[in-house]
Amino acid sequence: MGVSSRYWQIVKIDAAGRRQVREITPAKEFLADVFPQIRANNQDNGVDVPDTSVQSVLLPLSRNTHADKYFLAERCLLCFISWEIEQVCLQLTAAFGTDHGFSVHDLFPHVLDDDGKLKPVDNYQCVSRQVLESWNPEKSSLTTWTNIRVKQYHILNQFLLERGVYLVSDWAILNDTKNQQLQRILTEFYSFAPSQILLAQQLLECYHAIYRQDRLQQRALGRRGKCTIPTTQQLEQIASLFRGKTGKGFSSEMVMSQLQEIAAQLRRYRIHVRGGPLPAESMDVSDRQLEDIKDHQNEEVEFLELYQSQFLACLEKALAVVTQSRVNILEKKKGEQAKKFLLGLQLFHCQNLSMTEIASKLGLRAQDAVTRLLKLKDFRTDVRRELLSMLGDRILELAKSYAHPDKLYTLEQQIKIVLDEQIDQIIKEAEIQAQTAKINPQPTSLFNQKLCHYLDGINKNI
Amino acid sequence: MNKLSTENFQILEFDVLPTAAITLTGEQIAQAIEISIKVKDQSRQWQIYLHILALLAFQAWLGEREDSLTVNQEKCTSFQPLLVQEIAAVANLQVGKFKLCLLTTDSLSDDQIVVPRAVIELPEYIPHFYVLIEILEEQETAIISGFLSYEQLIKNQIKANLQPEEDWTYLVPINWFENQPDRLLLYLRCLEPNAITLPSINSQRNQIPARIQTELLALLPKLQSPECELWQILTWEQGIAVLTNYELLNWINNLQQQVDSPTDNYSQQNSLRDLLKLLTQPAINVGRWLRNELDELAQEASWRLLPNLTPLPVMRSPVEEFQIITTQLRQRGLEISSQAQGAYHDLILAKIPLRLYAVTWDIRSESDPYGWTLLLVLATDVKNTLPHDLKLRISDQNSILAEQGISQEQGDAYLFTRIIGSLNEKFLVSVSLANRIELTLPPFTFYH
Repeated sequence: MGVSSRYWQIVKIDAAGRRQVREITPAKEFLADVFPQIRANNQDNGVDVPDTSVQSVLLPLSRNTHADKYFLAERCLLCFISWEIEQVCLQLTAAFGTDHGFSVHDLFPHVLDDDGKLKPVDNYQCVSRQVLESWNPEKSSLTTWTNIRVKQYHILNQFLLERGVYLVSDWAILNDTKNQQLQRILTEFYSFAPSQILLAQQLLECYHAIYRQDRLQQRALGRRGKCTIPTTQQLEQIASLFRGKTGKGFSSEMVMSQLQEIAAQLRRYRIHVRGGPLPAESMDVSDRQLEDIKDHQNEEVEFLELYQSQFLACLEKALAVVTQSRVNILEKKKGEQAKKFLLGLQLFHCQNLSMTEIASKLGLRAQDAVTRLLKLKDFRTDVRRELLSMLGDRILELAKSYAHPDKLYTLEQQIKIVLDEQIDQIIKEAEIQAQTAKINPQPTSLFNQKLCHYLDGINKNI
Repeated sequence: MNKLSTENFQILEFDVLPTAAITLTGEQIAQAIEISIKVKDQSRQWQIYLHILALLAFQAWLGEREDSLTVNQEKCTSFQPLLVQEIAAVANLQVGKFKLCLLTTDSLSDDQIVVPRAVIELPEYIPHFYVLIEILEEQETAIISGFLSYEQLIKNQIKANLQPEEDWTYLVPINWFENQPDRLLLYLRCLEPNAITLPSINSQRNQIPARIQTELLALLPKLQSPECELWQILTWEQGIAVLTNYELLNWINNLQQQVDSPTDNYSQQNSLRDLLKLLTQPAINVGRWLRNELDELAQEASWRLLPNLTPLPVMRSPVEEFQIITTQLRQRGLEISSQAQGAYHDLILAKIPLRLYAVTWDIRSESDPYGWTLLLVLATDVKNTLPHDLKLRISDQNSILAEQGISQEQGDAYLFTRIIGSLNEKFLVSVSLANRIELTLPPFTFYH
């Protein structure tokens, strides 16, 4: 059952970027003329006309540009689409907004760009008009179609990609699929008939010859961004190549729908693979090994006591080397990144601030930006490795561990425990739970003591 | 709702980039494009483009995480015009003390990866570590996603009884790869390289080219079709010979390029035969002649040194004879250095006594610091003239350089030719009669 007000009210954003719902009276009157039963139930805005029926009447009216009120039918559908677009934005925000630092209001300006005017004032085609124009009711409902088109809208994709969320296009998947992969997937995953598989392979080959080549050429011209929908010319070239190879005549539309079909099959396979079990940690170095290490913590303490002076000297040096190397790289980037890095490191490790607090102190957009700047786990890993390398040069007894991968890894894990057993968990929590108040990264740990001491020294000089 | 709507609705799933994702810069993309579009075979350009992106991303990652390691791509297969086409991986990348092979996954996210057989089976290309890099070309992003040591790969391969595919690849499960790239950094930085044992080249290997000669000759017509992949024509054993002998690979590649202007089959066969000999036979170092020495090989093949050419005459027959020839050659305008040193070798071909003179001198110059030249003269004794169908043929790794026969202008007293070489370049000399009686001498080379 449809809510009829959605056909005469539009969701849009005002000049200040705020969401607003506006009634478009001519659209309301038009709809009431076409569906008299709506007028009868006007009080509660609800009516027993399902969306599919309303749309199947409105669509032909909107496309008959010779009829005098076609633009009102069009306006009603555009209003409907605006509500659907809002839904997509809400879904995306619910799924990714918190972790990736964006709100629904960040998404709206990219997709709710319909001004609500009865006829377009210039050549600009807003998102909802693009959706409407490309909609084929034979193939999908308008709700589904809006969802598909909006999710694939390149400007929205670009915004999300900058926040670490991406949608691979059909064309990228087809570009990256090798012929023998397609054969294997269609055989093993779909059990298709050999003749059907061969045809798909031949079509993919023709697509590669044209589309990949064009993409390379565009890249050579410095073009950036998403793979675009194949042009009519490209589809014709693919069709002609395909005809030469197989003798089969395909129209451009058939080439397009066949390619999309293959892409959809690959996408389903992709979801199956990605949703499957995560890659095994490794074949034989198991978590048990790590457990063993933890069981023998006393030995590690002994190890530390034995080489305490070298260990501490190397730790200080390693911290300095890794910090400096980070600073060197960040100094080449804009926006005082190096300074922010040093400060952020101190705020986290020495002042126990949460990632959100650090973000606001550093003037960064959200906690995920802090995560990307500090890369806390990488930092600690790099310090341990540097430390290990220095120890190897100084303590001969350790040398035998450097000649075997697993022993070396064990040694590295021992050092990790000595430095601070808990820290990984704390970093993980800090990065995920941006909003949690204080987290406590054990300021007394050896790593933190030395790091804060070092940072005090250099931050004074900034 | 019909089929398309429900299904497509569900599969448009967004993915999340890990924190460790590396953003590719416009510069890196431009660089990868520049390298890949130079590759002749267009159908391979895309894969190579992704490989170069992987290499550049990997270097950027190392630069950020472990800048003490040096990357040396001098021997990297991606920068060798022929190997880049035949080996679909970034093999022979030297990082610090280790040899790496970069493999790419892509936006399809398959759970298996196609690995060239060469980087798993041929010591020339086997790395200490295979590194898995995910390239999202559309998103201009790379993710260093895992690694696998050679030893571990082999252990798994035996356990899983993984067999090669017919197209000279292995399908390796992605979950064999260790998914903590940090651990790779630890190994690259701290591990002793001998902790991972790599196989050495089997000594039997260099006999393969000779063994497969007849087979290859028979396959020549097939090899000439440029549409075909090598694996479609050659057995893996033949493939090994081709993939481990750059000259042979080059020769076959040239053959495929020549499809528009086919040379006759007979001369191709000779050229291939000569090449296989050059690849397998030890060469006489004529550089030592300049120091008035014969190396062991020359002695075994009964070459005799000619005394220095300038202080004239020592009245011994071969010398005398050769003096006459050189005088004539000089009169014809052929330059022969006064520093030249030569040797001769007597041979009998179909009962005809022949004598081959070889004279060498240094022609180093600024533009070619390693230049040398070899003058070859084929003569017979005074009583005889050369048979009219006698041929003197010289080949290098790429082709037949010269094939001299008796001609009106040269007369029938001797055949000669002069070639120019560079350091360590090898030449093969054959003498033949039209009825296919042929004698090939050990190759010549020159080093100081």
